[in-house]
Amino acid sequence: MKQQLILLFFISFLVSATINAQQKADTIITKESYGIRVGVDLSKPLISFLDEDTKGLELVGDVRILRNYYAAVELGYEDKTTKEDYINFTTNGSYIKAGVNYNAYKNWVGMTNEIYVGMRYGFGLFNQTLNSYTPNVKGTYFIPVEMQPNTEFKDLSAHWGELVFGMKAETLKNLYLGFSFSFKKMISTKEPENFKNLHVPGFNSVYLNNTGFGMNYTLSYLIPIVKKEK
Amino acid sequence: MRKYLILLFILSFTLVNCEKDDICIETTTPKLIVVFYNNEIPDAKKVVASLTVSVDGKGNVYDNKSLDSIAIPLDLTQNSTLYKFKSGAITDSILFTYNRKDVFVSRSCGYKTIFENLQIESRSSNWIKNDIIKNTTIDNETAAHLTIFH
Repeated sequence: MKQQLILLFFISFLVSATINAQQKADTIITKESYGIRVGVDLSKPLISFLDEDTKGLELVGDVRILRNYYAAVELGYEDKTTKEDYINFTTNGSYIKAGVNYNAYKNWVGMTNEIYVGMRYGFGLFNQTLNSYTPNVKGTYFIPVEMQPNTEFKDLSAHWGELVFGMKAETLKNLYLGFSFSFKKMISTKEPENFKNLHVPGFNSVYLNNTGFGMNYTLSYLIPIVKKEK
Repeated sequence: MRKYLILLFILSFTLVNCEKDDICIETTTPKLIVVFYNNEIPDAKKVVASLTVSVDGKGNVYDNKSLDSIAIPLDLTQNSTLYKFKSGAITDSILFTYNRKDVFVSRSCGYKTIFENLQIESRSSNWIKNDIIKNTTIDNETAAHLTIFH
């Protein structure tokens, strides 16, 4: 296969050389792989291992659709218990994010590294369980007792948008290491009654102005499908 | 390229550690606001010259103070609180009953308890002549909930 490709490469070179015989042939035609890149977020299993209150997994994938544009998708699952000063709750559910990355990095010939900006639309389906809370009272005249309602709020959902900055480097042939940072803004949520979606899978902590941050470290493999001229 | 990646990796961890630490600034469990009025002139506030407010077995909420309005906490572990109001050497007891409801406030504040259906179950009349409950729901501290005439 490889030999055939090399042969094809040289034949094409000869063909083009004969066609353009009159021209000065000083440009070398290089080809770049277009294909499906699939991978996993390495930080999620690491966090799951280090923090007993968090379990999660995220699969990532992208397809090069144009020279500098990649259609990207992330699929994930998360089960996380959040401990705040007065409340303790567990969020579990899954999410999908889809969008586009634009590669702004000018590669050397034959290289396919990326420094990119991207946008995502995110959607999450999840449950929240209010494990316990202590009513907040200023002063110490009456000491409140911890309540353990274990109320489960099911079938909650959230829609959000993300702005992504990241980079990917080909470390071995077709094997990429990547890092990305994302800024998120909630669009709409289905909120639990007398509680709030303080944590949403895929969105992470929801701050007061409905914003959030995220990051991932990915290891992905490119399955080359077609090679196109640069 | 790989150097940048390592740099960004380290940078991202500092970002994680710089997350803002929310502090509870919203109002939480409200207190019962009591104002004292003159029994002879019901429109006029009247200062209790030497007021001591307490619950049996606990310290004083107010100790020998000269006031015309007070804010006292209600017991949020049960549906009643028995308060002792001492004016000088004379003591009156008021037994408050209510329903409790926990309302979500925010991430940093958690839940607050509000009190509904406030009633005076019993009251002695040694120095307190009359009482009027202005607001049976205690969910804020902006207005008086109870007026005491003396």
